[in-house]
Amino acid sequence: MMKNELTYWVALTHTPKIWTKRKNEIIVYCFNLSKTIADFFESENFLGMELKHEEQELLSQTKKELANYAFLVEELLNQGYSIIPITSQEYSPTLKANLKYNAPIILYTKGNKQLLQENAIAIVGSRNANDKSLLFTDNVAKKASSERKVVVSGFAKGVDKQALDSALNYKGQSIVVLPQGITTFASGMKKYYKQIIEGTVLVLSVFHPKSPWSVDLAMARNTIIYGLADEIYAAQSDDKGGTWSGVTDGLKKGRTVFVRMPERNEKCANMTLIEMGAKAADIEGNPIHKTTEYVLHEQSCQVVAEPTASYQTNSVDKQIVDLLNKGEYSSKQIIEILHLSDFSTQKLSQRLSKIDGIQIHKIGKTNKYSLKTKKQSEQLTLSL
Amino acid sequence: MNRENAEIELKRIFGIDHFYDEQWERILMIQRTGFGKSLCYQFPATQFDGITVIFSPLIALMRDQVKALNKKGIPARYINSEQTVEENSATIQDALDGRVKILYIAPERQENAEWIEATRKMNLSMVVIDEAHTISVWGHDFRPAFRRIINLVKLLPQSLPVLATTATATNRVQSDIEQQIGGRLTTIRGQLVRDNFRLYVIKVHSEDEKLVWLAQNLNHINGTGLIYTGTRVNTEIYAKWLAYNNINAINYNAGHDADTRKDIENGLMQNRYKSIVSTNALGMGIDKPDIRFIIHTQIPASPIHYYQEIGRAGRDDKPTTIILFYNEQRDKNGIEEDYKLPKAFIDGARPSKEKYLKAIEALKQEPLSERGLMKATNLKQTQIRVIKADLIDQGIAKEVVDGKSKVLEYQFGAKELDTQSFENLRIAKLKDLDAMVGYINTSQPRMQYLCEFLDDDNNINYSNCDNTNLDKLTVALTYEWQKKLSDFRENYFPILEVSETTSKTHKPSNIKWTINIPSENKIDVYKNDQLFGSFSCVINWNNFSVEEREFVESLLESHLARKSHIVNGIAASYYGVSNVGSALHRSKYENGGDFPDFLLRLTLKAFFKTFGNSKFDMVLYVPPTHSGDLVKNFAVKFASAIKVPISHKLVKIRQTSEQKVFQNSYLKQENVKDAFSYLSPEEINGKKIILLDDIFDSGATIKEIGKLLTALGAETIVPIAIAKTVGGDI
Repeated sequence: MMKNELTYWVALTHTPKIWTKRKNEIIVYCFNLSKTIADFFESENFLGMELKHEEQELLSQTKKELANYAFLVEELLNQGYSIIPITSQEYSPTLKANLKYNAPIILYTKGNKQLLQENAIAIVGSRNANDKSLLFTDNVAKKASSERKVVVSGFAKGVDKQALDSALNYKGQSIVVLPQGITTFASGMKKYYKQIIEGTVLVLSVFHPKSPWSVDLAMARNTIIYGLADEIYAAQSDDKGGTWSGVTDGLKKGRTVFVRMPERNEKCANMTLIEMGAKAADIEGNPIHKTTEYVLHEQSCQVVAEPTASYQTNSVDKQIVDLLNKGEYSSKQIIEILHLSDFSTQKLSQRLSKIDGIQIHKIGKTNKYSLKTKKQSEQLTLSL
Repeated sequence: MNRENAEIELKRIFGIDHFYDEQWERILMIQRTGFGKSLCYQFPATQFDGITVIFSPLIALMRDQVKALNKKGIPARYINSEQTVEENSATIQDALDGRVKILYIAPERQENAEWIEATRKMNLSMVVIDEAHTISVWGHDFRPAFRRIINLVKLLPQSLPVLATTATATNRVQSDIEQQIGGRLTTIRGQLVRDNFRLYVIKVHSEDEKLVWLAQNLNHINGTGLIYTGTRVNTEIYAKWLAYNNINAINYNAGHDADTRKDIENGLMQNRYKSIVSTNALGMGIDKPDIRFIIHTQIPASPIHYYQEIGRAGRDDKPTTIILFYNEQRDKNGIEEDYKLPKAFIDGARPSKEKYLKAIEALKQEPLSERGLMKATNLKQTQIRVIKADLIDQGIAKEVVDGKSKVLEYQFGAKELDTQSFENLRIAKLKDLDAMVGYINTSQPRMQYLCEFLDDDNNINYSNCDNTNLDKLTVALTYEWQKKLSDFRENYFPILEVSETTSKTHKPSNIKWTINIPSENKIDVYKNDQLFGSFSCVINWNNFSVEEREFVESLLESHLARKSHIVNGIAASYYGVSNVGSALHRSKYENGGDFPDFLLRLTLKAFFKTFGNSKFDMVLYVPPTHSGDLVKNFAVKFASAIKVPISHKLVKIRQTSEQKVFQNSYLKQENVKDAFSYLSPEEINGKKIILLDDIFDSGATIKEIGKLLTALGAETIVPIAIAKTVGGDI
C-alpha cells in the first residue's frame, strides 16, 4: 500500500458516529471494486456505494478534513509511530480472524511490528491481583516465552504489568495494548525504550493518537487484547469490571479462555467464570482436565454463592439466539415467546444491540431482529 | 476559484489554454527572480474558501510579502521565530477563526506542538512550498526541516492544490523535487537570463587587494548594494574597514539579534547605507527592486549559489553591477587561496564516521535531547546537528516530542549508517565548486556560462560582461593604501560579549522588560526586546511612566543583586586574522618563550581605546591549566604599564582540562564550574577589576570567574584578552 493513502485511512478510522463494522463494510466494498480508500474519498459519489444520508454527510465532512488528517499522519510518522491499516500485510492476522468486521481499521504501533505475526497469548486479570495471581501470571508468561509465544497484555497495574515484566524477564516478547492514544504514552515509551528498540516490545493502540486514558478506552481495549491472542489466560477476576466483562464476552464469542483455579476461600469470581465455560488452569497455567477436581473446589469455595445476574442473562442471550435462528421477530414477540417477564421492549432492544451477529430490519415503525446470514461473514474472511 | 477562472489566469500568465487534470493539482514552477512567482499563489489564495499555507525559509520575505498583501487589504499573516510566542499564538487563533487568507510559515514550525494542534482544525485550501530547491540535497541550500514538508505534501489529499516554486534548479534538482513531491507534478520552466547585469571578475593576490579595491571604488558604483563575504567575522572586518574609509557600510550576520537584523533590513530598503556587508543570509527574498550592485569577496559554493545570490539585485531591469573577487595566489601546496574556504566547508560538511557511530551508540542507551547528545558524545553543536539530520534522514533515529522538549530516539530495525551517500554528495559538491572556479576562468560570456550550468540552453546573444564588451577591473595596491590598511588593523578591536541580561514580564501590561549592562557605565533597557534606552551611568527616568519606572527599578535591583557584574570586554585582535594568532601559538605550543612585546602594545592600545577613562583597582589573570607563566608574566607587564596593582591570589582549586579539549559549551561550562577561588576574599569587595587572559574562546572560564568575583562583592569586572577566536579556530 502506498504511504500517501494513510491520510485517507486515518480519516476513515476517526470519522465519528459510524461504527467500525460499517467502516469495514466500506473497505470491503472498495476491495471488491479493486479501488483504494483514497479513490473512495476522492470520487464524486463515494464510488457509488449505497450510504445513508447521515453517513454521506459524515463522510463528506471527513473529506473536508483530509488535509488536517495529513498533518496528523505526518506528525505520527515523523515521531516513529507506524500506522497499519487492516488491509496491510503487517496487520495481525489473528486480530482480523477473531474480530472480523469489528476488527479495528488501523493499528498505531511503535516497536517490532513482526510481533503481530507471531503466535500470541493474552494474560488478563485484576489491577489488585493477589500473590497467587501474580505467580500464575509469571508462570504463564514464562511458559509462553519458552515456547516463543508473544505475551499480550494491557499495561494496567497488577496482572498486566506482571505479564509484561515476566515476559521480558524470561527473554520473551510482549505486545502492550494501550487504553489511550499512542502519543500520550511518553512515560511508558521511555521506561521500555531499550526493549522497544531491541524489538522485544511492541506498543499498540487502536484509539485516536491524542486520546488520553479513559475508562471507556480501557474497556474497549480488552477486546483488542483478546483479539490479538490465540489463547487467553485470566489470572484473577472480580464479578464485575474489565476482566469479568472481557472474559464473559470472550466466552460468548466462543474463545478459549483459561482461568486460574482459585484457592479455597479466595475472594474472586474465577470459579463463576469456569462454571460459565472457561477452562480451569492450575497455578502453572496447565489445563485441569478432571471435572471432579473443580467440583471439589466449588464446594469449598464460599464466595461464589449466588449465580450472578450476568450469568442468567447470558443464558437469555442464548435463548434469543436460538429463537432468532428460526426466523425474524420483533422485540415484543421475543418477550412473549421466551416469557421474559422482567424485560420491557426497550430493555430488550438494548440487550439485543449488545449481542453479536444480530441485525435489525426496519419494517414500518417496528424493528425486526434476525441473525446475520452466513454469507456475509464468509465474504468478510475472503476479502479482508 | 473555479477551474474556469483559474484557466483565464493561466492563459494570461503562462499563455497556456487549460490545465491538464493533474496540473490543476500539483505544479513546480521554475522562474527567475522578478518573474512574479508570488502572484501565482497569492491570487488564487484570495479566491479560495479556506486558508493558503506558504512554507518559506525566508523570514525577511515573509515580512515583506505580508506587509504588501495587507496593504492591498488581503488578510495575510506569518508565524516565525521573529515573533513572540504570544504573537504566533494569536496568529494561529486568527487562522483557526478564518480571519487569515494567506499564512506564511517557516518550515521549522512543523515541529511546534501548538501549530500541529492547530493544523487539525484549520480549513486548508492550498499549500505552497517557496524556494523549493531547499528540499533537495542536490540543491544549493538544503534544509533538513523541509524534509517534513515533503512528507506532509506526500500525505496531503490528492485534490488539494500544491505549488512549489524556485528561481534556480538544475535538471538534477528539478527531477529530485519532482520525485520527492510525487509523480503527479507538472513542471513549468522559464528563461533565466538577466541581461541588465554587468558581470565582472576581479582576480587578486591577497585579501588586502580586495579591501583596497573596495575602499577605492565602492563610492563610484551607482546606488546602493550588498557585499557578501564568506564568513561572519569578515562581515565585521570589511564593514569596519569601509567605515574607516568613510564609506557608509554596516555589517549584518546571523549573530545579530532579530531587532538589529530588522533594523538593518529596513535600512537597506530605505537606502540608508551605501552597502551592507553580509553573509549570504541577507537579501534572500528581500523585495527591493533597485539593489544596484552585489559584490562577493569570496566565491560561493557553486554557480547555482552565485546565480541565486546575484539574482537579488536589479529586479527593476536597470543596469546592475555584479562583481566577484577571487584570490588566485597559490599556497606552498599549489592550492589557490580562495579555493580553500569553500573546499573546507565541503570536506567538513560531515563529521567522521566514528562520530556518527558514537552518537548512535549513545542513542541506543537512552533517548537524548540535542544537548544530552552533545554531553554524551563531546561533539560540537554544529556537528551534532548534522549528525541528527542525517540519522533522521536515514531512518536510524526519529525526533520525538517528550513533554515540552524533543528527544532523539533510536529506531527498532534501523539500517546501518550509509556513509556512501555522504561521499557521493561530497564529490558532487566538489564538482559544483570546480564549476564555480570555471566561471572565474571562463572566456565565455559570463551570463551564458551561468545559464548553461542551470540547464537553461536558450540561443541568445549574451553580452554585458568583462569577457565581452566591458573592460576588466584591476586593483592598484599602493604603499599608501597598505599603510592605511595596517593602521586600520592596529585600531580595530573585537568585543568580548559576556555581560548578562535580566528579563521580567510586567503584569498585567504583559510588557517584557530587559536589563543589560554591557559596560561599566552603560545600562541598556529593552522593552519587548526592542532597545528602549541606552543610558550612561544613570537612567533618565523621564522616558518612563511612574509604574514603568517602579518596575524597571526593581528589575535593575534584582539584576545587580543576582547577575554577574562582568561587563563586555575587549580583545587586541581576532585569533585567525593578522599575525597575532601565530605569535600566540608560537609562545604557547612551540616553546617560543614569553608573548612578544607587540602583543602587549596592541593589547594596551585596545585597552586604552575602550577603557582609558575608567579607573581600576586591581588586575587579575586567569590561572593556567598547566604550569607555565605566560599569562602571569604578561599580566605583570600589563598591570605595571597601566599602573594598577596586580594580584596573584586568583587560583584554581581543582584540576581542569584545557578548554579546547571540549567541543561544546555545555562541557566547557562544566569543566570550569567551581574551579576557581580567591585567596583573600575580603579584598574583592567593592573593587573594579581587570581580568586578563590570552585567548578568549567560548567565554566560559571568564564568566565563571566573573561569577566568583561578583559573589565576593566586586563592583565591575572587565575582561581583556589578547585574541578572540572565531568559531573555534585554535
